[in-house]
Amino acid sequence: MSSEILGFSVRDASGRWTGLNVDFCRAVAAAALGDPEKVKYVELKASARFPALQSNVIDLLMRNTTWTLSREALFKVQFPAVLYYDGQGFLVPKSAGIKSLAELGGATVCVEKGTTHEVRLPEYFRLHGWAVKPLVIDSAAGVAEAFLAGRCAAYTSDASQLAGVRARAPGGAQAYDILPERISKEPMGPVVRGGDAEWATLVRWVLHVLVAAEEHGMTRSNLEAKAKQMQAIAGWRVFSGNDDRIARTLGVPANWAARAIRAVGNYGEIYERNLGAATPLAIERGLNRLWTQGGLLYSPPLD
Amino acid sequence: MTDFQISVTLVVFAVVIIAIAFDVIDMVLAALLGACVLAAFGVLGTADVHAAIETAGGPLALLFGGMVVARMLETTGVFDRLGALFLKATGGSGKRYLILLVGLIAPVCALLPNATTVILLAPLIVSAARALKVSFVGPMVVAAVVSNSAGMLTLVGDPATFLVGSSIGMTFGQYLRKVSLAGLLAVLVIIPLLPRLMPDVWNSRVELAGAAEVPPITRPAFAAFALIVLVVMVALFLFGEDLPVHIGPPGVAIMAATLALLLMYGARVEPVEAVLRDVDWKTLVFLAAIFCLVQAFTKTGLLQGMSIRLHDWFGVQFTLVALVLLASIGVLSAVLANIPVVAASLVMTKGYLVAAEAVPELALGPGFTEWPAATIPVFIAMMFGATLGGNATLIGASANIVSAGICAREGERVTFMGFMRYGLPITLVQLAASALYVVAFVWLAC
Repeated sequence: MSSEILGFSVRDASGRWTGLNVDFCRAVAAAALGDPEKVKYVELKASARFPALQSNVIDLLMRNTTWTLSREALFKVQFPAVLYYDGQGFLVPKSAGIKSLAELGGATVCVEKGTTHEVRLPEYFRLHGWAVKPLVIDSAAGVAEAFLAGRCAAYTSDASQLAGVRARAPGGAQAYDILPERISKEPMGPVVRGGDAEWATLVRWVLHVLVAAEEHGMTRSNLEAKAKQMQAIAGWRVFSGNDDRIARTLGVPANWAARAIRAVGNYGEIYERNLGAATPLAIERGLNRLWTQGGLLYSPPLD
Repeated sequence: MTDFQISVTLVVFAVVIIAIAFDVIDMVLAALLGACVLAAFGVLGTADVHAAIETAGGPLALLFGGMVVARMLETTGVFDRLGALFLKATGGSGKRYLILLVGLIAPVCALLPNATTVILLAPLIVSAARALKVSFVGPMVVAAVVSNSAGMLTLVGDPATFLVGSSIGMTFGQYLRKVSLAGLLAVLVIIPLLPRLMPDVWNSRVELAGAAEVPPITRPAFAAFALIVLVVMVALFLFGEDLPVHIGPPGVAIMAATLALLLMYGARVEPVEAVLRDVDWKTLVFLAAIFCLVQAFTKTGLLQGMSIRLHDWFGVQFTLVALVLLASIGVLSAVLANIPVVAASLVMTKGYLVAAEAVPELALGPGFTEWPAATIPVFIAMMFGATLGGNATLIGASANIVSAGICAREGERVTFMGFMRYGLPITLVQLAASALYVVAFVWLAC
């Protein structure tokens, strides 16, 4: 976990963790162990995340990590599914009057060290024949601080992360713009070690269950009633806990799917609570809408 | 693995080592009981045993092949002849005997597998010691220690050096330039210790008279074919992996053992059953059980997990980290087989260097070769610790176990403490010399 990505994983002064990533961890803990509180959050820098996963320090990596071919193939890890579709964007002060990326040619751009953004920034600008001066800084907090202090003309990162920085900016969110262009695809999600098929399967299907629940209108408050109402449908038996073959195979409690929903709600509820219109971030769901609403979220059948 | 299983693994491991060290129970039984307890607690499952056998398969095949080929050579009379020549070269001096022993084993082990070399040369060492009227236990321990240390002379001299060197993209030539001198140092520092460690052997002096007469070979044709088998084995060890169909050392050892059995069977020298009965199965079973225990230990992830801690504790002080690794992996290697320790240490070292941002995260995958010069001493120190640490105790390296097994068959039992009496002082001096080498390496690179 990072403790400083607003909306995804933040630890407050009392030590309480909140965010989209945190809620997903709680859903997995509820499904796997029967208790959403049975999670030990480990704070890691971006550069330490894969060493920590490879060396068994953590079992589940939830640190806004982009799913790429090289990571999955070379590090012997698995990205079971996508939790959040993001893209690399640019945050600029409104007062600069910059409206598009082309206007950033030759500018200094702040970027976090060891991330995919650091690689893609010069690549993209070179491809378009524009100059750019990357200012590479160790941590996300350091990059934000440098940008807000005016050391660079723009800050590049995942658009969601930029929304977090903007929401906490001293001059208020209205003083900054996120440019409309996205220069990369950043499908982010949970990461597990390779070689543990059951664990990867469970993590993947907890995510699908959250999405399927939203698709069929199952929420934290109507869970029991909805499960009862739909128990005759094969794909919904997983919520009733009556058919425990899958649970036994995965080594989890029989009502694992219902426990996950009860702990954190469906995907839509999690999204609205952490990133939605009522939060300081107010990020449009965009690609993270259900497939039935023009987004990319799609759960395979649960039967 | 749960926290409880991790605790069980550590306790079982400690109990097995203590039981062996204090001779509470036969070491094979101790290791097997340990493996059984781990299986009963669900620490060692079928997949883990498969993984352990995959790691142990190579060393076990090398030992089995070496034992069968040595058994074949024994029946030719070649050993008696070589033993007599070796004895003649000592001139009856214990001091010359020990120096010749080091000089004979070191170059052979730079290219051939350590434990196989010990098996092949053991008859010479034992017969010469008997002729010099001294105990062969000390010289056999030295043979094992020299064979392990000499593995550091070349990239291919030891599985540990190969594993580390190849994983950071070091070529045979680069290894010769950067690391071989340390291997030579590790071998040379043994010699000044010998008069203190085994004064009875070092100071012995006997008149050889007729004892050094070279005996004739009674079946020259059989001996010639047996030597051809030996030459084929050595040639394949050296060049087998360059053939269009790659033949690794374990495959070579099995092929050589098969040829040896075929030759003895065809020449009606001895039945196959008799030869197989003489294989040191106790040593092989012990090694297999130890590899299972080590598999459980590496599965705890404690060693690999140190990557993040190392960074928290020492930051980017690479020289300090190198020295810490040299010492700590040296200690660990003294009680664990070095191949799995090296494999786990590589994950730890790469993880540390990525967490320290010395290299990009791509370095965690295979095939990454752009290691900055400042990071190389960390790998070299880790390799020194893993290779030399195994010299300290009886169970630290397969050559040690084989050496003790040979002594037992020749009538002298080597205990854990008995081995350590020679092994520990040598290891401490070797690790100290290696630490100086690492510091000098860093200093010269600056």
